Formats: sequence, structure tokens, C-alpha cells
Amino acid sequence: MKRLLLYGFYTLMIVVVGGAFAFKVFQPVQVLPRVRLAPGFSMINENGERLTNEDLRGQFTLYSFTYTRCDDPTCLALDETMLVIQDQLAALDLGDIPVSMVTITVDPEYDTPEILLAHAESVGADPDYWQFATIADPSLLKYVVGGGFETYYEHMDDGRIRLDPAFVLVDGWGIIRGEYRYQTLSSDSDRIIRHMGVLAEEVQNSVGSASIAYEAAHYFLCYAP
Amino acid sequence: MKKIAWLVLLGVILIVAAAGCRPYTFHGTVMQNPSGAPDFELMSNTGQKVALDDFRGKLVVLYFGYTFCPDVCPATLVEIAGAMDILGEDAKKVQTIMISVDPLRDTPEALGEYVAHFDPSFLGVTGTEEEVAQLATLYGVFYEKHEGTAATGYLIDHTATVMVIDENGDLKLILPFGTTAAEIAEDLEHMLP
Repeated sequence: MKRLLLYGFYTLMIVVVGGAFAFKVFQPVQVLPRVRLAPGFSMINENGERLTNEDLRGQFTLYSFTYTRCDDPTCLALDETMLVIQDQLAALDLGDIPVSMVTITVDPEYDTPEILLAHAESVGADPDYWQFATIADPSLLKYVVGGGFETYYEHMDDGRIRLDPAFVLVDGWGIIRGEYRYQTLSSDSDRIIRHMGVLAEEVQNSVGSASIAYEAAHYFLCYAP
Repeated sequence: MKKIAWLVLLGVILIVAAAGCRPYTFHGTVMQNPSGAPDFELMSNTGQKVALDDFRGKLVVLYFGYTFCPDVCPATLVEIAGAMDILGEDAKKVQTIMISVDPLRDTPEALGEYVAHFDPSFLGVTGTEEEVAQLATLYGVFYEKHEGTAATGYLIDHTATVMVIDENGDLKLILPFGTTAAEIAEDLEHMLP
């Protein structure tokens, strides 16, 4: 009897450790990391309307950062990437999860709602998906973009702005799930689209017992590449 | 025959044990990546400045609200206070802090009177408008004034989530508005140092 219980205990340990090991190696479920809280904000968009982080709760939001006077190819590439993603959103199966795209300009003095509206039209932004916004108060803007989104920008003496290109994907809970900080390449859009799919799968499937598998995927760092 | 019976029993024990190994499921969203919660140093209702670092070794339950708040803040603080009651002695390992999003009206004294109404161990803290705005931004909290009634004065729309910071100062759990006292207590119990 004692020996049988001992065998049982060993078998249980093998099952638990082996299961955990197999989960980590084969990664049957992949997720995106919960990086940190996205910042809270109240901005004004290209239509002069208020846009807050609470308005975007319950949906996926992709943020990018730019300023309309930027003539650097990087800024143009950022808008191009957003445009590619926007054009693919309609065909993307995310269940009933809405997606928003917000481009935050770091030049509020120049980028008035009128300028932003003209810029949105010039790049082909669909207002159903993609908004342009900013905060008039430069220090608050710095807290949001520099502090919350950890995206570096600096106003130079010659009037230009040094800006690190970045996209940030935020889930419906207001948690940052993806940061894409390298120089914009065409493949960024593929990766972001794929990550939106991974996130949607997690939201749709992690209910009841299945949520344990998703929490385990977070625990074992089974992150989608 | 007897051996088969034992094997069946062993199988049942294994299944029950495996079911018992089911990991705890939190009522809020768990932040897996340990990231230090934004620190602060703000004036508390005790008349002393307090920093998040002062509470290392304890769980910190953090909430952004204000004393003139007509519904959401009292409803949330009642649930947190209820959770403290459920935790009993273990509540000493938890510090609840309400950061005022209304620094103009919420003096330390007013905050002290307000939070004590829910639980004497709760702290209310406030700072300059700029300090609060910066902190709220980093904690993902939106707030904005809007017109109220003559009796209430202006009101403030604000994010109503409750955040739990672990004993190492890492933001670990985000609880949505509406989480009950029992659910908060269950999560806190699971996180106690």
C-alpha cells in the first residue's frame, strides 16, 4: 500500500513537471506580454473632439507618434505602416472586438485640429478607425508620450523634433501588450496584425477553464514572436 | 482483482490531486512582468508625506478618487473596507491608499475624515495639481472636471480601477470597478507576503 502511494506520488510529480515542461517547450497557447499600464489621458482629436483613454476601453488600440511638419522618411513610413494596417483591418477576424488607431502628434503648438484633419485626409486615414490627436499642454503631453508610452522625443533648437519611431498596442483593459520600437520596416504591419490576432484569440478563448491555459502561457512566458 | 481495485483507486486519487493543483484564478488582470509601480511622495491625511516605498513589505491597494465623489468612490471604498474585514489580522499586511484627483478641494484633513469613514487604516493622499496629473497619467488614470449641481460643486469623471502593488513595489493586479469585497479579499489573500 505504502509503495503504491509512493508510486502514485512519483507519477503525479512526473505528470505535473512533464506537463509544465511540455507546455513551455511546445507552447500550445501563445500570448502577448502584459507589459505595463498604458497612460491615462484626455486629448483633442482632428475634429476638435475630446478623446480619452476611457473612450478606448474595451477595444484594441494601436498608437503611433509623429508630427505633421516632419519631413523625415521615418515619419512617412510610420503613416504608411498605419495605412497598411488600416486597410487590412476590415478583413481581419477579431470577433466583435473593435480596433482603433490613434496617432499622437508631439507638436501641439503647430498641429491644431485643422492641421491634423488636413493631414489625416492627405494620408488617407479612415475616420472610422484612425484618429489624430494631441494635448495642448506640453508637460502633460510629455507625461503621456514620454512617461506613459516611453517614447522619446525632444524639441531641437532649429525647430525640428527628434522622435524615436514607435508603435504601441494596447488591449481593452488599458494594458500595453506590444511595443514596436525599431526603425519602421514594411514587416512591422504584418507583425502588428498578427499580434492583434493573438490578442483577439486570448480575449475570445480565455473564459472558464480555458483561461487557465492562457494564464499558464503568461506564466511560462509563451509569447508570440 | 484486488490489485486492479487499488490501481483504480490510485487513478482516482491522481485525478483528484490534479484537480486540486488547478492554479488560482484572480478576479482582476495580473501583470506578469514585474515592473516597478510609479513611485510618489504625497501629503497624507496624517500630516506627513508618504511615499510608495514606505510600504515595502506590504501589499498596497491604490485607488484614485475624491471626497466629493457621489457614487463610484464610496462604492469602491466600501468594498475594499469589506475586504479588510474579511482578511482580519492579515489586513495589517495591506495598506489602502486613496490618491485624490481633486487636490484643490481635498485637503489632508478632509481626506482623513473621508477615508476614516470607511476604514481607519486607510490613507488619503494629495499633492499639487501637477503631481497628481503626472501620477494619474502613469497609472493609466484619466480624470476630468465637469459641472455638477449647486450642492456638489464640480464633479470629476475618473477611471475607477483598483490597483494592487505587491510587497516589492511591483504593480501586480488591476481590479475593475464592481469587484466585490469577497473577491478583493480572495485576491489579496493569495498575494499576501
